[in-house]
Amino acid sequence: MRQPIVNICLFFFVLQVICIVASLLYPNDFRYVSETNIGLLLRAIPVLGIISLGVGVLMITGEYDLSVGSVYTLAGYSIALLFGMGLPVWLAVIATLAIAIAIGVTNGLITVKFAIPSFIATMGAMLVVRGVVRWLSEGRTVSFKPDETFSGLLTGAFYGIEAPFIWFIGLALLTGLLVHKSKLGNHFYLVGGHEKTAIAVGINSHRVKVIAFALASLAAAIAGILSITRVGTATPAQGIGLELKAIAVCVIGGLFLSGGRGTVLGIVVGACLMYMVEDVLLLLRAPGFYLDVFVGAILVVAVILNTWLTRKAGK
Amino acid sequence: MTIPSSTPLLALKGISKQYGHVQALSGVDFQINRNEIVGLLGDNGAGKSTLVRIMSGVEFPDSGQVFRDGQPATIKSRKDSEKLGIETIYQDSALVGSASIMRNFFAGRELTKGLGILDTHKMNAIVMDILVNMVRISGINSPDILVEALSGGQRQAVAIARAVYFKTAMLLLDEPTSALSVRETAKLLEHLAELKREGVSAVFITHNLYHAYESCDRFTILSRGQVIGSLAKAETSVRELNDLIVKY
Ligand SMILES: Nc1ncnc2c1ncn2[C@@H]1O[C@H](COP(=O)(O)OP(=O)(O)OP(=O)(O)O)[C@@H](O)[C@H]1O
Ligand SMILES: [Mg+2]
Repeated sequence: MRQPIVNICLFFFVLQVICIVASLLYPNDFRYVSETNIGLLLRAIPVLGIISLGVGVLMITGEYDLSVGSVYTLAGYSIALLFGMGLPVWLAVIATLAIAIAIGVTNGLITVKFAIPSFIATMGAMLVVRGVVRWLSEGRTVSFKPDETFSGLLTGAFYGIEAPFIWFIGLALLTGLLVHKSKLGNHFYLVGGHEKTAIAVGINSHRVKVIAFALASLAAAIAGILSITRVGTATPAQGIGLELKAIAVCVIGGLFLSGGRGTVLGIVVGACLMYMVEDVLLLLRAPGFYLDVFVGAILVVAVILNTWLTRKAGK
Repeated sequence: MTIPSSTPLLALKGISKQYGHVQALSGVDFQINRNEIVGLLGDNGAGKSTLVRIMSGVEFPDSGQVFRDGQPATIKSRKDSEKLGIETIYQDSALVGSASIMRNFFAGRELTKGLGILDTHKMNAIVMDILVNMVRISGINSPDILVEALSGGQRQAVAIARAVYFKTAMLLLDEPTSALSVRETAKLLEHLAELKREGVSAVFITHNLYHAYESCDRFTILSRGQVIGSLAKAETSVRELNDLIVKY
């Protein structure tokens, strides 16, 4: 049905097969199929993956959010500080998510009401929120040690599968339901595809976009909570650059910067692919700069392919 | 209460609209009667599209009144115009190219199974039924085809099919033929005639006076935001229409 997704899945699958075969042939040099490595992947993917789900929904409506990296860090500080003040952990979670939603709604309202590019509006938010984090943290790291039940639920393992990955898949399924099967999801696509037409058929494009902004922020906060629960600490500079990585994941997954296209499956595969490449390079003991080169190359090639395929399908 | 058939479906009285310094419309009277196709004619910038946008609720006039079946009405949003049975096919943006036929067909009026979840199955069935049996568009075999993969004529047909399905009383077409081939245009004019048989009234904007003369029952001519004439087909000719538009 949608060309780019077929493409990216195929690429992912082929790469997967190559890695597995290579790891079976050279079990000592290339430990791809090992419990440690798989565990590592399953823990690494969810943070960026969850952020990308939110960023992707927003991208479908034709907007961006550069503040998700900052919101991600703020969420870690918010939950740790609120919990430290003696708030029950669940209340700290709800308060943190509420703060994130408020930031997202503000981003959305500023973008649609003043009709300015979201790129600029959220770049402002990125700096402001990062500043708030610095102020809250006074430059120090913060630690977060909730009770076993809470941390077990977020970071434990069920039947050998890492909990963060299960959360990621669960959230991806929810996002898929919203985006592909619901009325609101259809409005995301129509507004992103051609806003004027969407308005002409009676869709409140401002409302639709503000909701998408809120979801992007919400997803970033969920990732932030997941991350600090797993690691136990947060630093004020963490999460810088995640906003661009999330956009890269979405683009690799077949979403368009211009909006109106893409699938949730694409985002999931995009996130997995991103970490797989990182992981493979690490296993091969390649120097760090290779990673940037590879991710950069994949990004550009993915966009070229997707654009070309879409143009061909549109003929 | 029965409405006499002579009462216009929609009547606009003294409509004015200003954009900055431009007086796009000044004191325009316009009406659409039952089972009638009105040709809205005039040179570039005459105010035709502005009038259509006002009737479809995308734009709000500075002054003037609207009557539906003789009763005062207000059109402040697309939802209002939809309630009055008005459907618009725009010059540039009738459908979203990157979305499928079905998702365009039901855009903003999606059928759900409750909780906002789409009833995709039912919508697909309806779209295929209408496209195959009613509008008879050739070459469309799936409701999942993206609209950008359709020709200009097929797109117009989808938009018209949508109007038919949603029991539109009045269809406003703003230069629907501007991007169509000769054959597609002929097909569209056929659709228009069919629509009229279904009891739908229409406003047809075009710069091609032959097309207008062929398919319309009455003509309203705008020039620089003012109505300079409203003529029935029987009392005019392509020649006279042309002279009227050029002279002013
Ligand atoms: N959004 C707008 N902002 C400012 N001026 C506008 C706007 N829309 C229309 N106008 C002006 O109003 C006048 C009427 O424009 P309109 O689009 O209604 O003309 P038209 O009869 O549809 O012309 P055409 O045949 O070229 O489509 C023009 O002078 C136009 O420049
Ligand atoms: Mg026009």
